[in-house]
Amino acid sequence: MGEYDTSWLQSGFTASEPRPARLGPTTLMIEEFETTTPAGPKVWAIGGGKGGVGKSIVTANLAVAVARRGLRVAVIDADLGGANLHTMVGVPSPKVNLADFISRRVSTLAEIMTPTPIDNLWLISGAKALLETANPNYGQKFKILSHISKLEVDHVFLDLGAGTAFNVLDFFLVARKGILVVVPEATSVENAYFFIKAAYFRKLKRAQPRAQVKAAIDRVMNTEARSSVRTPRDLMAQVMMVDAEAGAALMEEASTFSPSVIINRVERSEQARLGAEMGSACRDYFGIRLRCLGTLPFDNLVRRSVDERRPAVDVYPQSTFASAIRHTAESFTEPPTEEDG
Amino acid sequence: MSRARYEDWKLLDLSPGADLSEVNRALHYRRALYQPGALATYNLFDEDERLRMLERIDEAYRRITCSEPPPNHGPQPSLVADEADTEAPSGPPPDERSEPGAHMRYHRRAKGLTLEQLATETKIRAVLLDQIESEAVDELPAAVFVRGHVLQYARALGLSDPNEIAAWYLAKLKLD
Repeated sequence: MGEYDTSWLQSGFTASEPRPARLGPTTLMIEEFETTTPAGPKVWAIGGGKGGVGKSIVTANLAVAVARRGLRVAVIDADLGGANLHTMVGVPSPKVNLADFISRRVSTLAEIMTPTPIDNLWLISGAKALLETANPNYGQKFKILSHISKLEVDHVFLDLGAGTAFNVLDFFLVARKGILVVVPEATSVENAYFFIKAAYFRKLKRAQPRAQVKAAIDRVMNTEARSSVRTPRDLMAQVMMVDAEAGAALMEEASTFSPSVIINRVERSEQARLGAEMGSACRDYFGIRLRCLGTLPFDNLVRRSVDERRPAVDVYPQSTFASAIRHTAESFTEPPTEEDG
Repeated sequence: MSRARYEDWKLLDLSPGADLSEVNRALHYRRALYQPGALATYNLFDEDERLRMLERIDEAYRRITCSEPPPNHGPQPSLVADEADTEAPSGPPPDERSEPGAHMRYHRRAKGLTLEQLATETKIRAVLLDQIESEAVDELPAAVFVRGHVLQYARALGLSDPNEIAAWYLAKLKLD
């Protein structure tokens, strides 16, 4: 057995990140936000780690399908820099967008919520809004997040940008559930795991008391126990042995991290199992539960619907894609289960 | 059976006491997940860790079944060649409404086609065709795929109404 590179295990805890020093840690922001949102809409953040997997198409169609079931839905183009959700929900040129909110031309998000041609569906556009502020600071992020919780809708779908920037991870973690869109290709699966890894460590960093947890991790990583740490799951087990309290704190954080996947563009039947298989792999590797919310077939009509600038679920309701989207949408309208918290 | 630990069942994602067929299925599923090149674990584990997982899976199997795991031939469970598979069936075909899978198998055999030959024609794997004929509901993919496969199957055999068979098939397996 060669030397195994465990540097990434530690890097999650020690990486410095750009943030205004006076505003304190970003994690604090998330905690504050969560405690202030007992009710409000259910926020789903859709990321992908990789561009070109159909994230915005899936988001738009899912939002339409949920709205068609009679629930009020807002889609937010939080792809800060590459926004294109608006065309897919039939709003070619939104008059207002997130820039108006950030620059305080309007005081609430509700004012930039644009009605779409679809009943019960609104759009909050990021279109070109944030090119100058594609990396919003702490205050701007907090403001967006806290206003989302005040929207008078049932569901909010946040379409995140590709990549694993701290912004994307924070929006992903703060949502009620983070959803990754994956296609059955090696690069997409690899990116998804990279994303999960990054988000997972960002979440573990929040384990309290932080100093004690960090000290326990350092103790593991600076002894020969390090050689038995290959996965986050091993790390937690080792931390448990040197400091049960810190270990329990890590477990506690880990237990509330359960992202979901939607598998898109499935062409062959064995690919339809990818979601379940990734769930098994995540259980073994991270010790977390990864739920598969839906499996969507490859369908040429989807591309045509994009050309027509309309959601496939509306313009080709009989397509296999639309049928699978509607099936996936059902799980968003079911009564919440205990695990949903 | 008593030597098996709770972790062994958990590793195979089974409830303690699951029967042998479930344990075997779990073994194949878990092994497939850790084959070199398996998509669902792509670049997640390094080579040492992958091999260690395969060993742990086999060890769990040994403790649960008190027997050696079958040789690991890779991700695809090999289809047992069934000599009788192409024998022309006798008697009337099974009812297409109550036994759609058996009905399809009857007509395939009546045409003298093996699963492999039909697989070549339909581009659906032989293993899956077999599962469709057996109505192995736990093994089958999502309903939209099953519907497509049954349609293709029925068309390839030239059955009179592929749409109707697909509808009955999904209705029987409560997939729609």
